[in-house]
Amino acid sequence: MRQWLLVRLGRAVVAAWGIASLVFLVSRVLPVSPEQLALIEMEDLSRQIGPATSNEVAASQQAVRQRLGLAAPLFYATRTTGPAGEWHWHGLHNQYHEWLSQVVRGNLGKSYLDGQPVTALLGQALAYSVPLAAGAASLATTLALALALYLARGSGSAGRTLVQASLATLQVVPLFLLALILLLLLANPAVINLMPLASHGPAPNLLVAAGRWAVRAALPLLSLVLAVLPALTLPLVASLRQESSTPYATTARAKGLPLGRVLRRHLLPNALLPLFTTLTDLLPTLVAGTVVVEVVFALPGSGRLLAEAAAAHDYPVVVAGVLLLAGVRLLSLIAADILYFLADPRLRPAT
Amino acid sequence: MRYYWLVSFFTLLTSACSTASPEQAQVDAPIHIRWARDPVSLDPLALPNPSAIDAVSLLHLSLLPIDYQTDRYSACLAERLPEVRLVGDSITHIEYRLRPAAKWDNGQPVLATDVDFTLKLMQCPGLPNEMARAQFGFIRQVLLDPTDPRHFTLVCRGQAVEMINTSGDFPILSESALDTQRTLRALPLAFLQDWPAGKAPLPPVAALVHRYQSANIARTPGKLPGCGPYRLVEWEHNRHMLFSRKAAWWADSLRAAPFVLQAKPRYLDYLVVPDDAAAMLALRRHELDVFPNVPARVFQQLQASADARRELAFYTEPSYDVVVVGFNTARATLRNKLTRQALSRLLDPAGLLSATQLGQGSLTVGLLPPTSPFYNDSLAALTYAPAEAQALLGRAGWQRQPDGSWHQPGSPEPLALALRYRADESTFATIALQFRAAAAKLGIAVTLLPTEAGTLSMALKAGDFDVCVRTLKGSPFGLNFSIFFHSKAIGTSNFTRFGQPAADRLLEAVEVEGHDPRKRRLLCSFQALVRDEMPLVPLFFLTNRLATTKQLRHVITSGLKPGYAAQALTWARADSLAVRPTPSR
Repeated sequence: MRQWLLVRLGRAVVAAWGIASLVFLVSRVLPVSPEQLALIEMEDLSRQIGPATSNEVAASQQAVRQRLGLAAPLFYATRTTGPAGEWHWHGLHNQYHEWLSQVVRGNLGKSYLDGQPVTALLGQALAYSVPLAAGAASLATTLALALALYLARGSGSAGRTLVQASLATLQVVPLFLLALILLLLLANPAVINLMPLASHGPAPNLLVAAGRWAVRAALPLLSLVLAVLPALTLPLVASLRQESSTPYATTARAKGLPLGRVLRRHLLPNALLPLFTTLTDLLPTLVAGTVVVEVVFALPGSGRLLAEAAAAHDYPVVVAGVLLLAGVRLLSLIAADILYFLADPRLRPAT
Repeated sequence: MRYYWLVSFFTLLTSACSTASPEQAQVDAPIHIRWARDPVSLDPLALPNPSAIDAVSLLHLSLLPIDYQTDRYSACLAERLPEVRLVGDSITHIEYRLRPAAKWDNGQPVLATDVDFTLKLMQCPGLPNEMARAQFGFIRQVLLDPTDPRHFTLVCRGQAVEMINTSGDFPILSESALDTQRTLRALPLAFLQDWPAGKAPLPPVAALVHRYQSANIARTPGKLPGCGPYRLVEWEHNRHMLFSRKAAWWADSLRAAPFVLQAKPRYLDYLVVPDDAAAMLALRRHELDVFPNVPARVFQQLQASADARRELAFYTEPSYDVVVVGFNTARATLRNKLTRQALSRLLDPAGLLSATQLGQGSLTVGLLPPTSPFYNDSLAALTYAPAEAQALLGRAGWQRQPDGSWHQPGSPEPLALALRYRADESTFATIALQFRAAAAKLGIAVTLLPTEAGTLSMALKAGDFDVCVRTLKGSPFGLNFSIFFHSKAIGTSNFTRFGQPAADRLLEAVEVEGHDPRKRRLLCSFQALVRDEMPLVPLFFLTNRLATTKQLRHVITSGLKPGYAAQALTWARADSLAVRPTPSR
């Protein structure tokens, strides 16, 4: 098992490095370069007093490239453009080598936009996104288990039909629409306003900080829970119903066990396997944040950070985000495997 | 009722702890203003977006900022407007004197050496100053007056009229705070400007750059003393930024402070709310007090609501931003001006203004707003005229084929166009769709290419389009259209690639003309030339829409960004003011 884990982790590291390297190299050869974007405002009538010539623009772009560390060759070897392209070896003095050696030391670079360390930016954003998504995942899982047990107890009653229909409806509603509906219904003085006035500034104590967070996170949390609830509940219900038709379930019922106990003690452990996959799929969301919810509810989370970085072509932040996401994604797959092994010993690797 | 004594006790306790009267607390409450995005950086050399410009203008002052009451440049750190002397035919001397009262936060006076230092800092390699370097590169030397430390003359390359105002529109930084050794004093400004891009900087320059970078002014502006009225209290990245008015600001001692040196709100709290609908609801919930640049539909929704009308005040002001449709005049199919004129008749400016801005805005014949004294009102407004378009295409040599397409004699290529516009802007998409529909009726195929903003900018520079829709940002002072139409700017900012010797000469004459009647004649000729050559079609000027709570007074609106004067706002001293949370400080 330990060997299996080491091999999987090794593979995950290699895969994350491969993905991040690819994104790094692709970002450097895109037609839209950061130095060109940094000078877009030169086309503003109120900012310029005369036309900039091609030479002046080229000089400005060169200055931006120097500042951002883009003047060095991209890779160990590069090929000159043109029909008679020739290969040139640059040794270790290249952008990729510099980036990789910094990443190995835990330095993900600096943002093109404000020169801040990317790790600090990601850390600030994760401080918002992780509690929100972790809270949503815990709440949604608890609710999904409760609802699945309720729905699997029978079918046909008005209550169960209503819950099932609601879940099916929620599943087809996109998250941005759901978030906007909640905002328009529950944070709108014209309908219902459950949102108290926002307060800012450092909290005097932990309790106040937690209270403020709860107030601010209530609607985003509700949006996320409602968004993932059907995906967690409906497969679990189907799985429970399938398990309830198996001979061991019939035996348990024949022995006189109450239905609730049969569902909880006997059927649920066997029906949980699909839930593990869905739950570990949620893990990258903890890190990536949810762009839609963060934009609609004005939360400074990691989803918004990465989306804005992508829009602004702030590649160091984008590459760091991809690296982080790839890592978490791969770890979540390993976590799913481990949960499967724990739930079903037959799936464990041979020792 | 049994807990009444407890409630009373706490009420008494909180009243005893509070030193300010309720009215005072209300008047001192922060004014919450919406930003669509975070400033990202408060480095006065960088100013990456409009939010950063708003923020930095509260911390630092310039010689000549814009007075939003009049939409004109006004003396701020400068004692009065500068004196201008033309030297020869290519040099301008702009002479300033600083206000004697102007002081930095550390009590040091603001001196001419600070202006000299700031201009030199803009030229230091390795700092995020490329935009500033390009913008203020025309200032080649600062002549200090040995007899008066506040008096100086800027020696400028060229004689463009616009440079007078621009020469004073940058935040002045403190030399004593950033360069205690005064290392830059020995280096002439032109020497730094002409330093080759790839060459390593001189050791004293490199040391200064290192110190500046280490200070991380982009995120900790408090490390740099300012001479503006506010200091940054708190910055929660991507969430809010709180500014507090300095208790003792040097301009308070002025006998009659000009508008640009007035700062009334005690606290200004900028909240970052990216989504317009969320911002609208925040305004309705009283979390926001000022919502600038309100989209047309949101503005209409608010005005239609009786509750919102009771609580909110609405303001509109014509802006200087114009929506245009540009043609790539370097394309073989669009080289003939008659073809461009024909295509311009397929646009319906009035209908588009109504559809995209709900009628709020003004139609125009040129790149100047109809309110400008230089507007050419003798030109007729363009209208949707497909029959005229058809006739013009015929005059341009296009012949309609039996299948409905248009061909030039001897050319197998039909008249077909690729139209680029920014993908995230619904106004542009509507214009593109209207143009495509009108062109299709005439048998002209138009392919729509909605493009991401950065890619679009590159495509326009590279000439990778036939037609494009975009906004040109203007100002009442931006009368030098060389950046869009001079042949020198082809491949950079002249995206239509239009260039003619006659047009270049006219633009150069406009650039240096300081006499208003003559300038008007030149600009009218230029507008007529653009109308005739039709490298682009100006459709309409946009409107700045502002919604504020009715509890605010002195709401000064402007056609220039941000569209209002934050420093002029005050709370109404009404007893009915709602109690607002005061942020922890």
